[in-house]
Amino acid sequence: MYRKQVRRRRAVLVALIVLSLILLSSHFSEADSGPLHTLQRGVATVFAPVGEVAERALKPGRDLINWFDETFAARGENEDLKAEVEKLRAEVVAAEGAENDNEQFRKLLNLSDENPGLGEYDLVTARVTQRSPSVWFSDVTIDHGSSSGIERNDAVVNGDGLVGRVTDLTPGTAQVQLITDHDNAVSGQVLPSGPTGIVEPEVGNPEDLLLDFIDNDETIQENQTVATAGWSNGTVSSAYPPGIPIGRVSQAEAGEQQQFQLVHVTPFADLRQLEYVQVLTGGPDRPGVPG
Amino acid sequence: MIVTPRIALRIALVVILAVLLQVSFFSFVSILGATPYLVPVVVVALGLLGGGVVGAVCGFAAGLLIDSLLLQTLGVSSLVLLSIGYLAGRYREGFEIRGAAVPALLAGAFTMLAAAGFAAIELMLGVDAPVSLLVVREILVQGLLGGLLGFAVYPLVRRVLAPALIDYKPSPSRLLSAGRLRRRGRRTRAVEHAAPRRRARRTPVHGGLS
Repeated sequence: MYRKQVRRRRAVLVALIVLSLILLSSHFSEADSGPLHTLQRGVATVFAPVGEVAERALKPGRDLINWFDETFAARGENEDLKAEVEKLRAEVVAAEGAENDNEQFRKLLNLSDENPGLGEYDLVTARVTQRSPSVWFSDVTIDHGSSSGIERNDAVVNGDGLVGRVTDLTPGTAQVQLITDHDNAVSGQVLPSGPTGIVEPEVGNPEDLLLDFIDNDETIQENQTVATAGWSNGTVSSAYPPGIPIGRVSQAEAGEQQQFQLVHVTPFADLRQLEYVQVLTGGPDRPGVPG
Repeated sequence: MIVTPRIALRIALVVILAVLLQVSFFSFVSILGATPYLVPVVVVALGLLGGGVVGAVCGFAAGLLIDSLLLQTLGVSSLVLLSIGYLAGRYREGFEIRGAAVPALLAGAFTMLAAAGFAAIELMLGVDAPVSLLVVREILVQGLLGGLLGFAVYPLVRRVLAPALIDYKPSPSRLLSAGRLRRRGRRTRAVEHAAPRRRARRTPVHGGLS
């Protein structure tokens, strides 16, 4: 009897491991229109409304945790005020949430005003509803999809700057790959009229990006702004339009034995605290970029 | 654990709720620079309560759901979570769990293992960008947060699955109410059957031996 149980347990374990490996390799090698991807999008579509409701319902809880985090240093308050603070806490949390939302909307408007190039695009404002718990997948899910005119490889921004690009879609949701994902690379230019390189992430550190392929003889100063280069040679082009701010140069290291210097860039957008983003849909043709 | 259809449904609900809470709440929260990882903690709790097979199946299902919801590479989370679910279950089958700290410590250790396993698989699949040493901090902090979550999650999951546990002892109030229901049921049945039985006994028997 015991042996039978052990055999059954081992069989289940082996079957599940084999199934996981089959899923992993099939999904990895399959095209985006393959059956596994389609099934995955189906599950995401079914659960999207539930996730959205849960995200909205749990927002006060998140705000509360952030509120505690922010006010952790202010413990030495007057004893008499504590009762009042207790009473006002719920109101403050709600007001802070609303104020934060307003600030983000204002920034989004400013960004599109400051970048006339973005006028050629239709901007779809969306809310971030889900995100991956792992630093290895820097993806978020937003609450607008193909039914809002969003297409694959559309650039995504927030009020501070570049956020990422759309990598997958369902009618009601879109998957945004952040610029900190290890699969992402953006052509960036050091402003004003500086050299152009490739902005890559450093996995595990969302507050640091690396601007690579900058020749050692180029002079890069701290605090210079890096923005999307948005190049095109007629057949191939960047997925990102030019002029979207990416970040600020924090450090430039010129290695003696190396051809290129390593430029560290701190992204403008706080990618850990994304709530609202704008997707740049439509716009001019981008040759070579699959839509 | 005795897995009846009703218990299987409860387990499924626990897994779905954990995944939804993870992607809609915990993934947005940053504590000490890391994201709390609830799903492995729940899988470990299920493994510790249900054994290796339950842990592995729950881990596989939770991983599949999380990968599907986030449109990630299918199979990565499943492989990691089924492994820790199985290991947690095997621990339960080999050792006795005493005290509230043991499940929490195990949840922390297995969460750390899950985060490390996830990193290892991703590195094997190929990472084009440089990897920061902060990944190690993320793994350690996630383990620490997993341990803290374990203090709350294990008793909660245990409570939800209590009727399926072999060492389950219903609370006195529950026993009392069950006993009351049983007595009431017996009394109702007695009233229902009393009259016909009495009538049957009083039925005159004509002829033969009585």
